[in-house]
Amino acid sequence: MSRVEKAMNCRHCAGALPVAGLSRRELLNRVGLGLGGMALAGLVRPDAAIADAAQGADRGVLNGQLHHPATAKRVIYLFMAGGPSQMETFDYKPVLNQRNGEQLPDSVRQGQRLTGMSGNQSSLPLAGSQFGFHQHGRAGTWVSDLLPHTAAIVDDLCVVRSMYTEAINHDPAITFFQTGSQIAGRPSIGAWVHYGLGSDNEDLPAFVVLITPGKVDQPLYTRLWGSGFLPAEYQGVQFRSGKDAVLYLANPDGVTREGRRLMLDRLRELQAHAAERLGDTEVDARIAQYEMSYRMQASVPGVMDVSKESDATFELYGKDSRTPGTFASNCLLARRLAEKGVKFIQLYHQGWDQHDNLPRDIERQCRETDQASAALVTDLKQRGLLDDTLVVWGGEFGRTSYSQGKLTATNYGRDHHPRCFTTWMAGGGVKPGLVHGSTDDFSYNVTDGGVHVHDFQATLLHTLGVDHERLTYLYQGRRFRLTDVHGTVVRALLA
Amino acid sequence: MAGSRTTLGAALAAVAFTTALVVAADTPTVPNATVNFDRQIRPLLSDRCFRCHGPDSAKRKAKLRLDTKDGAMAALKDGWAIVKPFDPGKSELIRRIFNESDDERMPPPESHLSLSPAERELLRRWVTEGAEYRPHWSFIPVGEIPLPATSHGSLSTNPIDAFVRERLDAEGIAPAPEASPEALLRRLSLNLTGLPPTIAELDAFLANASPAAYEKAVDRYLASPAYGERMAVDWLDLARYADTYGYQNDFDRDVSPYRDWVIRAFNQNLPYDAFLTWQLAGDLLPAATREQRIATAFNRMHRQTNEGGSVEEEFRTEYIVDRVNTFGTAMLGLTIECARCHDHKFDPITQRDYYSLFAFFNNIDESGLYSHFTNATPTPTLMLWTPAQSARHRQLQGQIAASEARLAALERSARRPFAVWKKTARVHAPAPIAHLAFDEAAADTTPDSATGAKATLQDGPVIERESQGRTVDESKGPSDGAVGRLAGPDSALNGAMRFSGDNAVIDAGVRTFTRSDPFSIVLRLQPTEAQDRAVIVHQSRAWSDAGSRGFELTLDHGRPLFALTHFWPGNAIAVRATRDLPLHEWSRIAVTYDGSSRAAGIRLYLNGAPLATDVVRDHLYKDITYSKAAGDGFAEKAPLTLGARFRDSGFKNGLIDDLGVFDVALTPIEIADGGAGAAAGDLFEYYVARVYAPAKAEAAELQRLRREDSRLVNRVREIMVMEEMATPRPAHLLARGAYDAPRDEVPRDTPSALPPFDPELPRNRLGLARWLTGRQNPLAARVAVNRIWRMHFGRGLVASQEDFGSQGRLPSHPELLDWLAARFMDSGWDVKALQRLIVTSATFKQSSRSTPEQLAKDPENRLLSRGPTTRMSAEEIRDSALAASGLLTSTVGGPSVKPYQPAGLWEQSGTGKTYVQDHGDKLYRRSLYTFWRRTSPPPSMLTFDAMSREVCTAKREVTNTPLQALVLLNDPQFVEASRALAGRLLRTFPNNPSARNRDAFRTLIGRVPDAEEAAILARLFIEQRDLFAASPHAARSVVRIGESVPDPLLPPADYAAMTTVVSAIMNFDEFVMER
Repeated sequence: MSRVEKAMNCRHCAGALPVAGLSRRELLNRVGLGLGGMALAGLVRPDAAIADAAQGADRGVLNGQLHHPATAKRVIYLFMAGGPSQMETFDYKPVLNQRNGEQLPDSVRQGQRLTGMSGNQSSLPLAGSQFGFHQHGRAGTWVSDLLPHTAAIVDDLCVVRSMYTEAINHDPAITFFQTGSQIAGRPSIGAWVHYGLGSDNEDLPAFVVLITPGKVDQPLYTRLWGSGFLPAEYQGVQFRSGKDAVLYLANPDGVTREGRRLMLDRLRELQAHAAERLGDTEVDARIAQYEMSYRMQASVPGVMDVSKESDATFELYGKDSRTPGTFASNCLLARRLAEKGVKFIQLYHQGWDQHDNLPRDIERQCRETDQASAALVTDLKQRGLLDDTLVVWGGEFGRTSYSQGKLTATNYGRDHHPRCFTTWMAGGGVKPGLVHGSTDDFSYNVTDGGVHVHDFQATLLHTLGVDHERLTYLYQGRRFRLTDVHGTVVRALLA
Repeated sequence: MAGSRTTLGAALAAVAFTTALVVAADTPTVPNATVNFDRQIRPLLSDRCFRCHGPDSAKRKAKLRLDTKDGAMAALKDGWAIVKPFDPGKSELIRRIFNESDDERMPPPESHLSLSPAERELLRRWVTEGAEYRPHWSFIPVGEIPLPATSHGSLSTNPIDAFVRERLDAEGIAPAPEASPEALLRRLSLNLTGLPPTIAELDAFLANASPAAYEKAVDRYLASPAYGERMAVDWLDLARYADTYGYQNDFDRDVSPYRDWVIRAFNQNLPYDAFLTWQLAGDLLPAATREQRIATAFNRMHRQTNEGGSVEEEFRTEYIVDRVNTFGTAMLGLTIECARCHDHKFDPITQRDYYSLFAFFNNIDESGLYSHFTNATPTPTLMLWTPAQSARHRQLQGQIAASEARLAALERSARRPFAVWKKTARVHAPAPIAHLAFDEAAADTTPDSATGAKATLQDGPVIERESQGRTVDESKGPSDGAVGRLAGPDSALNGAMRFSGDNAVIDAGVRTFTRSDPFSIVLRLQPTEAQDRAVIVHQSRAWSDAGSRGFELTLDHGRPLFALTHFWPGNAIAVRATRDLPLHEWSRIAVTYDGSSRAAGIRLYLNGAPLATDVVRDHLYKDITYSKAAGDGFAEKAPLTLGARFRDSGFKNGLIDDLGVFDVALTPIEIADGGAGAAAGDLFEYYVARVYAPAKAEAAELQRLRREDSRLVNRVREIMVMEEMATPRPAHLLARGAYDAPRDEVPRDTPSALPPFDPELPRNRLGLARWLTGRQNPLAARVAVNRIWRMHFGRGLVASQEDFGSQGRLPSHPELLDWLAARFMDSGWDVKALQRLIVTSATFKQSSRSTPEQLAKDPENRLLSRGPTTRMSAEEIRDSALAASGLLTSTVGGPSVKPYQPAGLWEQSGTGKTYVQDHGDKLYRRSLYTFWRRTSPPPSMLTFDAMSREVCTAKREVTNTPLQALVLLNDPQFVEASRALAGRLLRTFPNNPSARNRDAFRTLIGRVPDAEEAAILARLFIEQRDLFAASPHAARSVVRIGESVPDPLLPPADYAAMTTVVSAIMNFDEFVMER
């Protein structure tokens, strides 16, 4: 698809169009740069229309015309890959401890399918949490002792204990959460947001992905932050710790910034000459593309450089935050990216898939994530950013209340459980200090206030001022949207 | 926009307006002409109305459908109709769309769809003019299209130009002049080979740029092996070709023989109808060749999962769905996947149609899961014999058959010595190699009385003793059976092992049996609960997670089932008893296997008497053991295990006693419950097997031959292909598309809105392929021609390559499309001829430079008023750099390679896989050979819009991002290529910087730099040389990038500076653009 066709396609939700000739928007698209409205500075032939385009950041297909007032300008999504157990974190179930070792009653299971991992077990013994729970905050929210820092800020959180999904295996489940479909090929949430809303910054991508490396568990795939059928410019850009924060960012060994600048100056002369000769605006886009890449070589390391952060900040996020690549360090980076106006910041932390040895492993997972997750909320709050930043914490499904494998006095495992689990949100217009929804005594079924994955996605878009039914993209003859043909905004979660 | 509208209203109106504009822009129409139904009305009805008044019967409102003429013209009361031709005043449709009341207006406000005032007016005009109504253009068979007579007839004899010029004349646009010879040759070379022309080719062409010379170049490029590689890239996106299975664990799979077949098919100019037919149904062609079977791997390229705990049937359904959807997109150009869950909203494809197609693709012996613990190729597979392997295998098969014949003959010659022996006959049953009596247990072990070793009790199976008055019932005891007798009389301790379903007994000392080994298992068991499936004894790592590799005795709904499996279900033998075992009673089961790899070689006995069995599977062609050398992730010996298996359903509350394992196939008399039960022939069979020396020797020889053949076969590569099962698997309509919601059974059939399936054709994939490529099929040829057109012009005659349906774009030149499609079919689907016709047209050869007039009248070149301008693909960009540098390796085909990639990407995704980069020539292969990991594709390719290849993709979007600049500037692949070319130029022109720059320019972008460009390059070189001269260390660093050896004789500063010059040209717009 050519850029103009794409522009037309995009404009299914956009503003008015002139019938003939190129609109400003088309022109912007022709010379536009993807990665979210990086400004077209340094253009050689700034004719009027391009100069006009150059002044505005990418405003997405909605062209700044939100469907309703937004309460969030950006999202930080802390994805807990693998499916954290709700019973060891937020869903307090004393009955499980009282009936520890008893079989899961059929009246509770109601014939629901299990995975092939525990589905053939001859026994499904209930397993109570081995970790204590206490009430915290003004709201008296139950939080596991594994999460002391999260407990301390629980009045800032909107805890949804009644999330549910259909998928029962990791790949479909995480793909469902991140793209609205269990099957590969759809754009991720971040890509939709970038496509709809554009970018608020000129030197960085609109959609950035940070992963805690070295956590070999359930894999992550580029499709989770991919653009699906949307143009590739909407895909998330992974920032990594180490030499090249963005792939191929660093100059080759022996090439200095000065040398690169000189080379790019000559290259720009060549391109400008070609633009003149060919009369093709694509060449103008190319020029801007190179200038942007040069600026990114400075802006990306700049935002990744945390050396100027105060000791107090490092203490807030925990000592791991001084180690690049850790979840804590990524949380700190997320705050820095949010400050720079990055629209969608997606973190992934793997390791929650605790089929066995759950007590040992979940303690480690919580240690790695609790303090920094809470610190991020606190830090955003004290900087005045929490009001318009939506923070989300959660995984792709929950875990079974019965033990997978042998239940002993000190050990048990839990299998995948799609029928209820907990996610929390903070800031960005969601209700603080709220606990939404409930589950039965076995944390097996939702008893009240169920929030489906599509409802969650609809609500997330709602905070950004987007009606999930109206942010669409025409592909293969059909208007696709993040929530497919489902989803209801959960108004009860909104402040 | 009307001023009174709210923001919301304005956005809605824009939606409506936009589509109309798209329609109009594709096919500009003269303002005051008659309304054109195809171009102006049907797209509007489709986009705004069909969602509720279209093909989907379930969602159809008010029983009104507008997608058929009958529906649209339906009569109403009082002389009204939905649409009353010539009478908008009596047309309900017109009344509704002009109605201002929210309750009455169509489309309703909540649909988020609306009609602009201009569109309403258009519909009214359409009715006033008589409401012409026709079926959707792409569903009408391709007719005979006359060539247009144009004033330019003399200019070109190429019919393409006649169609294009006719249209340009009508629009009053002059075509562009022919491109310069340099531009033309570069365009041609990139178009046909994906590589830029060499300087030698350029020079030769410039010396004689005649039409004849051009045509010669066309033929040369079409004949080049690089042609097939270039053509394959496009098809491989549709075929979702990749080197891994996808989904989360994303194991590797080598399907490169399919990729190489695609390359060969294009290079050999396989007729396109055969190209499609082989891929859909090559296996069903008479005397199908290996090539024809390999082609069917097309249907197996979909993603597959091995994620623990996945429901096999759920994913098997997904695979079939993927096949159907890919067939729809790649071959029909339709988005039929909508109809998986409900009737299509826009096109006349019902949900029933969908599952009728599904029925063609569901009949292979496959599993929904591939194996986690082994490297087995998911069945069905094709063995890819090398000639030597094949010859040796045939020889061994011959020897095996001869040995079997000799053995049979020996049975006859044994009659006489048997008569003598019988007089003093004594039956000595063989000793078991393992015997678990389950009479004692200590410290989680129980003794194996045959070996003195101990078997492990895992997770607490317990011995129950008769004395405890529980369930042990010796009434059917093993008083005379082999185990009982050979193990000696049961002691007073008589016990049996009770299993929970989760716990197990593991006798690791038992040797591993292969498919060539005769062996037997005898045991007593007592089931106490009705189970769908219960694992009794096996030697395997896991159930579906290992593709069931190994042997197993299970109870299938209570019926004993014995299987030897390489990969379930397609590479296995299995027999199942026709009756189930009683609950709460002891049964003595014996299983014997003769090492033949045939189901007939398995025998089951109950309480000493043969059991009637059904053959469940009879196709075992690779071994049942695990081998690290063969790539199995689990290379340990699989221990003999009782009572449970990883993630399988164990023997819940069942009892097992007196298990004996034998390394021979026991004969009936050895198993029979005392001599009384023995049949007349049993003693003779015993004699042949155990006593008669010539037969014993022959049996040993037979086993030796089978082992040798098995070792050979185990090394043979396989590829997933299509292969029909003998009994077709029924297909059902799946409610909401869910695997577990089957409804009515549906027969194999093609969509009813398309030409009917000829009853003469076989109702299978071959018939489907014949239907697809039949002259009456309106889609296949149009879709193919459009795709090839797009490869040359960057845009199809139908811009929506992926959708020829109601919501797709209309053809910009419908007559040309149909003329080409007809000619294509008439030519015998000759792809190269079609391309030759296209690239020799004046239309193709036009300069791509646009005049202000063209830009104003035809901004997107839909009318083809100038030559094509496209951004090269990821593959073309990298391949061009390698070709220009001289590093490119020209090998065609073979396993995929792993060139440079930033460290840590695979590792970071958590799949536990490490990217082990290749070296030497493999760094410089063409990009279609780069290893494609679906969950983490090569990042530099993705940056240039390549696809993850998880699903069929009809076209790539083209984007422009700063990340692309970073790849071209900094990826070692491009830096090294720059250095290689720089080195060559420095050696060729040591003292002539301008000649170097000129050659670099020509090599990379195919033309000579003009004076200004030459000056810029000269300055660039001098600046960079000065920088590097001041920093020799930096210069040496630059030229050391990449694994090829830098030239030690070149002055480092010049070398590094020239590398920078070449790199700058590679980053120049003209390097990545085809113009």
